[in-house]
Amino acid sequence: MALLQIAEPGQSTAPHQHRLAVGIDLGTTNSLVATVRSGQASTLADDQDRSILPSVVRYTADKEVVVGHQAQDQAITDPHNTIVSVKRLMGRAVQDLKTLSQHLPYQFVADDSSVPRIKTVAGDFSAVEVSAEILKTLKVRAEKSLGGDLVGAVITVPAYFDDAQRQATKDAARLAGLNVLRLLNEPTAAAVAYGLDSGEEGVVAIYDLGGGTFDVSILRLNKGVFEVLSTGGDSALGGDDFDLAIAEWIMTEAGITELTSSLNRQIISAACSAKESLTELDTVTISLDLDSGKRQLELTKLKFNKLVDSLITKTLTSCRRALRDAGIEKQDIKNIVMVGGSTRVPAVRERVAEFFNTEPLVNIDPDKVVAIGASLQADILAGNNQDGDLLLLDVIPLSLGIETMGGLSEKIIHRNTPIPVTRAQDFTTYKDGQTALAVHVVQGERELVSDCRSLARFELRGIPPMVAGAARIRVTYQVDADGLLSVSSREETSGVEASVVVKPSYGLSDNEIEGMLRDSMDHAEYDMEARKLREEQVEADRVIEAIDAALIADGERLLSAEERQQIDKSRSRLTEVRKAGKAEDIKQAVNELEKTCESYIARRMNQSIHDAMAGHKIDEYISDK
Amino acid sequence: MSDLFSKNYFEIFNLPASFDVDINLLTSVYRNLQKEVHPDRFVSSGERQSRMAVQMASLINQAFDTLKSPVSRAHYLLKLAGMDIDHEQDTSMDMSFLMEQIELREQIESVRSHSDPLSEVDRLLKQVKEQMKTVMQSFAAAYQQKSFDNAHELSRKMQFLNKNIQELDDVAVAIEDELLD
Repeated sequence: MALLQIAEPGQSTAPHQHRLAVGIDLGTTNSLVATVRSGQASTLADDQDRSILPSVVRYTADKEVVVGHQAQDQAITDPHNTIVSVKRLMGRAVQDLKTLSQHLPYQFVADDSSVPRIKTVAGDFSAVEVSAEILKTLKVRAEKSLGGDLVGAVITVPAYFDDAQRQATKDAARLAGLNVLRLLNEPTAAAVAYGLDSGEEGVVAIYDLGGGTFDVSILRLNKGVFEVLSTGGDSALGGDDFDLAIAEWIMTEAGITELTSSLNRQIISAACSAKESLTELDTVTISLDLDSGKRQLELTKLKFNKLVDSLITKTLTSCRRALRDAGIEKQDIKNIVMVGGSTRVPAVRERVAEFFNTEPLVNIDPDKVVAIGASLQADILAGNNQDGDLLLLDVIPLSLGIETMGGLSEKIIHRNTPIPVTRAQDFTTYKDGQTALAVHVVQGERELVSDCRSLARFELRGIPPMVAGAARIRVTYQVDADGLLSVSSREETSGVEASVVVKPSYGLSDNEIEGMLRDSMDHAEYDMEARKLREEQVEADRVIEAIDAALIADGERLLSAEERQQIDKSRSRLTEVRKAGKAEDIKQAVNELEKTCESYIARRMNQSIHDAMAGHKIDEYISDK
Repeated sequence: MSDLFSKNYFEIFNLPASFDVDINLLTSVYRNLQKEVHPDRFVSSGERQSRMAVQMASLINQAFDTLKSPVSRAHYLLKLAGMDIDHEQDTSMDMSFLMEQIELREQIESVRSHSDPLSEVDRLLKQVKEQMKTVMQSFAAAYQQKSFDNAHELSRKMQFLNKNIQELDDVAVAIEDELLD
């Protein structure tokens, strides 16, 4: 029998223990979860061996929540309580839905919150809550098939998602009890799945046409670095629109003028299967069961191509803009990777091939490629693949600006700027003694604020009273690696930190999310305190482990004896407090340890930059040319 | 070993402060630096470490963005030389250049009425890019000779020309869209 290995108290028992992390493709039509096992990425299937989970959630009168295939089967019979394509509603406000909702069978409840809720027999639910149900189902599936708790997940979003849509996705994950390692852009995920697989170098285009969104990204692949040069698209254009185009044709042909929710679902479902059949066939017969009797219609591929022609043209216009933003000519594109179920439509493939003058690649299942790519990044972010030479450098898809005089948007961060990014801007007061200032942040390319998406309004308060124009208020906008914005500000002449109260224009407040968490936990007799404690303990372990690893690596070299003593003191204080088990105390001790280590951490990072520059070999430069 | 935040953009990439930059070298160093500091490397290393990574990665991104494009690189070089160009009062420009600009603007505005608008755009683009090349060469020389006032005027010309290029690109895209619809 082998001897048992016992670690020193406080040290991680198994430094190379495999941490369970997954990649989740939270799609408009379908969702998937994937993970890396023994170096191989694969999607995880349910107990009936199905990888795809339809993104459909049904709420029943006895408060049961049904997700996936079973819910999808009820979509026609119970349209009001069965939510499909909820991704289209993420980060959207009540007024946004007016244009969308003609096609949606749901009733929306507009209450005090800026977030619309869908009325169902089981109560009113926001898009974030509905999405959280899908994520929960995938989480349970993953934990069951991997046999343990997940340390985290990489969740994909359309590259063209704006800040509100990204924040909503992150909120849904939080509600589902998932630790989000990173929000990853879908085309970037596809590029990772494809590029790591083939060892490809050079410039590639990812054409991603999903159920409800279209994205195009131009990336440069170089020795494991995936550098996004530009991204473009339309967060409200996808295969659903192909279905709608057919549905409208059906209504005209069949002379249908009045639509019930159930008939609407029937027509859309018939349109969707006609579209799928036309991938293989040249003609398809559509059968309808109307009040006036049964009705049959013939749809040819030629007619279908005409119906969707302008939609495909729209995607190619985005492609052209992305190329221009990247400063890349069509002929520089080495390969085009097709992603998303809608790229199965032959007309899409043909027109993309014609546009780029290259046959697009379809060798990875377009339904799975995004989840696979996300799982590869999750594996690295969770620390399982330390040697993995993978780095994703992404960009912000839409410009960020602030409202100026006359309702114009002044751009602060331009689209396709690499993230993370920080920009500072100075403001001054225009009245004597002015102590507050209002700022409106918008996202979009148009000049008029009214044509852009409103992200947040905030007020700077506590500016010391001065004569007009004397104050210098520096507002700092930061977009992190998830593409999410945060704002901070400071009055420079006095050093006063003006407080920033950001009110998201469309989104759930922290209180609302806390409330939802509490509600959803009620049934499970969940204890908020216990949850908080566990979160803090996990965080404490994480910080201790990171510090220990750092100290082993270069503690001797970079720290004086006195500094080392300080760190050891804070560290043992944290291990003590962690055992005592009070969430607040742990949080404080973690903070204390991190503060003690701050200059050490900075020194380490500067050292690694220094080493990287010194190790920069001449031959690398030459081979890049 | 010095602190990243105390370096200027050229020092960050270990490059001499000059207008001529080897873009391949810049890009290669950029990638290697991001491999060290990108927040993805510090996902589970605590909040302060992540924050620092975000700050460092942002700085490197900003430095890269600035040096990559000739127009912003020229602007930054003048700042390094101590010119207060963010609050500039002096916007004088030689008369012949301004006349050329007026003429060019008229040509851009009337592109659409041209018999073959897309090739007219191409012709103008070629012309502006040629001019840009000449101005850039003059800037590099002026900067090297520390003739900063002269360099400053040339950098303003670069901004004008850059705007022309953007406008022409926009026109081209608009025309292409109309032709496709």
